[in-house]
Amino acid sequence: MDLRDSPPQAAFRAGLRAWLRANLPAPGGPPPARDTVALRRFSELLHTAGYAGLTWPVQYGGRGLAPAFQAIYAEESALAEAPDQLNVIGLNMVGPTLIAHGTPAQRERYLPGILSGTVLFCQGFSEPDAGSDLAAVRTRAVGVPGGYRLHGEKVWSSYAHLADHCLLLARTGPAGSRHHGLTCFLLDLHAAGVTVAPLRQLSGDTDFNQIRLDDVAVADADVVGEVGGGWRVAMATLAHERGTFGVTLTARLSVVFDRLLATVRHTGRASDPRVRHEVAAIYTVLQGLRHTGYRALGALAASGEPGPESSVLKLVWSATNQRIGALALELLGGAAALDGRDALWGGYWQHHRLRSRANSIEGGTSEILRSVIAERVLRLPRSR
Amino acid sequence: MDFALSPAQRDLADAARRYLARQYPPARIAALAGGPGGSEAGSWPELTRQGWLDDDLGLVELCLLAQESGYALHPTPWWSTVALAAPVYRAAGDKGADGPATAALRAGPGPTARGAGLDWTLTGTARRVPDAQPAVEIVVRADTGAGPALFAVATDGPGVALTALAGIDPLRPLSDVDLTAAGARLLVPPGTAAAVLAGGYRQAAVLLAAEAVGVAARTLDLAVAYAGQRSQFGRPIGSYQAVAHPLADGYAQTELARSLVYRAAWLAGTANLAGTADGGDPGGGAELARAVAAALIAARQAALGCAETAIQTAGGMGVTWEYPLHHWYRRALWCQAYDGLGGDPYATIADSLLGPADTVEAPSPRPGGAP
Repeated sequence: MDLRDSPPQAAFRAGLRAWLRANLPAPGGPPPARDTVALRRFSELLHTAGYAGLTWPVQYGGRGLAPAFQAIYAEESALAEAPDQLNVIGLNMVGPTLIAHGTPAQRERYLPGILSGTVLFCQGFSEPDAGSDLAAVRTRAVGVPGGYRLHGEKVWSSYAHLADHCLLLARTGPAGSRHHGLTCFLLDLHAAGVTVAPLRQLSGDTDFNQIRLDDVAVADADVVGEVGGGWRVAMATLAHERGTFGVTLTARLSVVFDRLLATVRHTGRASDPRVRHEVAAIYTVLQGLRHTGYRALGALAASGEPGPESSVLKLVWSATNQRIGALALELLGGAAALDGRDALWGGYWQHHRLRSRANSIEGGTSEILRSVIAERVLRLPRSR
Repeated sequence: MDFALSPAQRDLADAARRYLARQYPPARIAALAGGPGGSEAGSWPELTRQGWLDDDLGLVELCLLAQESGYALHPTPWWSTVALAAPVYRAAGDKGADGPATAALRAGPGPTARGAGLDWTLTGTARRVPDAQPAVEIVVRADTGAGPALFAVATDGPGVALTALAGIDPLRPLSDVDLTAAGARLLVPPGTAAAVLAGGYRQAAVLLAAEAVGVAARTLDLAVAYAGQRSQFGRPIGSYQAVAHPLADGYAQTELARSLVYRAAWLAGTANLAGTADGGDPGGGAELARAVAAALIAARQAALGCAETAIQTAGGMGVTWEYPLHHWYRRALWCQAYDGLGGDPYATIADSLLGPADTVEAPSPRPGGAP
């Protein structure tokens, strides 16, 4: 057991920290607003500096580094309040999926663009009737000569309004075939019959989308993995995301926690015993998350498979983010009813409270995560 | 940032689990808890032979043993010896007691010391000392008039009277220790006592937290086993989400606590080796103090939470005397209550993050709501 960075990790961290400091405004002020142009530029900058595809094999343009380096990137970029990479889905999910399950032609066509940030991907899995129960997917892929025609609807697709392509899960088998009749496709979002419309969250944000598919053509060459093997590809895609996102989530949470401390001081409540107790309790959970994330990374590096820790991390992260937001708004007192330009930091905490309701739902509901832990880790009998 | 245990560490933990499972199955624990002495010192030679008292065990290794001890409710004075007494003996360069030992290190009104050089006597009462009855020696904090110092008192010497207290956890009994001009060996003089106490509190807190993680893990395992077997309405009750989900939450809580214990043990062990046991580097000292405090908070909560969830899971059986869970619940309550660790861990963290409570000023309001 050695909780320090190894020398190569320490060197990587130092270099990255310096690069972030040179290329981003100093963190800690009011949260920065960023437009799409700025986000695209940052993705390209990252690629030029060599920080895209850290864990991708070298032969595909990556740096072939261990997951620990991806974790260092996640930590340092969160602490520097770097923008989310627009092509995070491509870099962390679709790219690794194509590397593992794609054809050489697919890899050649998409991987360079994903790396450089010029090809943006979104994910098309959830549907109105298939959320937690993803095997209930109904979007149909009807076979035609040379390919398929897609009919259906996807929801909750992040970044779909900006993306060029989508990794889509559709049913090639008969209705009711559940896990067995599914296939993953690479969908061009500019194709005829594709309509992307924003979904507005209760926070007011519109970064999720609905994708409607009316008789959209895809080719046989756009199938990822095997026809009928879509469930396995989809699960592998989700697993890639889970490998390091515990570290990402916790790094972001520590930035939010620092803002909480600033708010405690700003509102003059730093000597309030109840506030002090709650701050210490939240800190304890935050550190527990952080170090469980590191443990998970070690297990991933050792076995190549994300372990049960990822469910634990997401479950506790969402509750903790919500808990921080609740204390913060409480500190604002009556001013918690303000918003926008009349509120602290442009309504940062108001937005945070509203937006964080979705944390316990997106990316695996807390109910499902508890069932996963109960059934796969504790090996309790299945409930369904 | 590698949390993996070495093969030697894994072997140590596995051997400890097997030994304790063989020696102390739940039925034996229940019998010992119901018996007169509570704590079984007769096993000391065997423990020594098995290496549980080796000097070269690092803090991570001791934590692994403490975890297994919590898991099995290891009913010997081992924890009191290594968590409370041993750090002081080591700091003093003293060979320690030839048998179980314990310590009374709490600040506040307690024994006073009179003497000079190597000849001292202690007078006063040390309260609620764990495992004092089987102890050969007790490390006692006493005020010399020039500040607190640390002494070793032989329990069979004149002027030492132990009063066993009724306690909630009969497997770790508490005693009041009344000293009347009791002869004592000086271990650490006033000049260096503060630093040794800080290091001692740290070790005790980490090993208490480690034990609590073991307690949490065992109660979860007992509950999961029960939920898998107990059937109602035609199904094992573990298949009902209302039963399974609290156990999943308990698992999550325990794993976070375990991560914090490993981290605190590694940090504190590294500090010990580097000779910075008193946190000489202010920055490093604060991080270490927070790490130990967080481990203690998380582990105590995990032990209590998992024990209570486990009792709930075991339903009508869970609230009987005969069902073994309550022995672990009593240990969780003991761990929560034990106050020989130098201060409130919540305050340690809050002081570190927000400054001490009594010196914080309210900032003047600024326009625009900017911090």
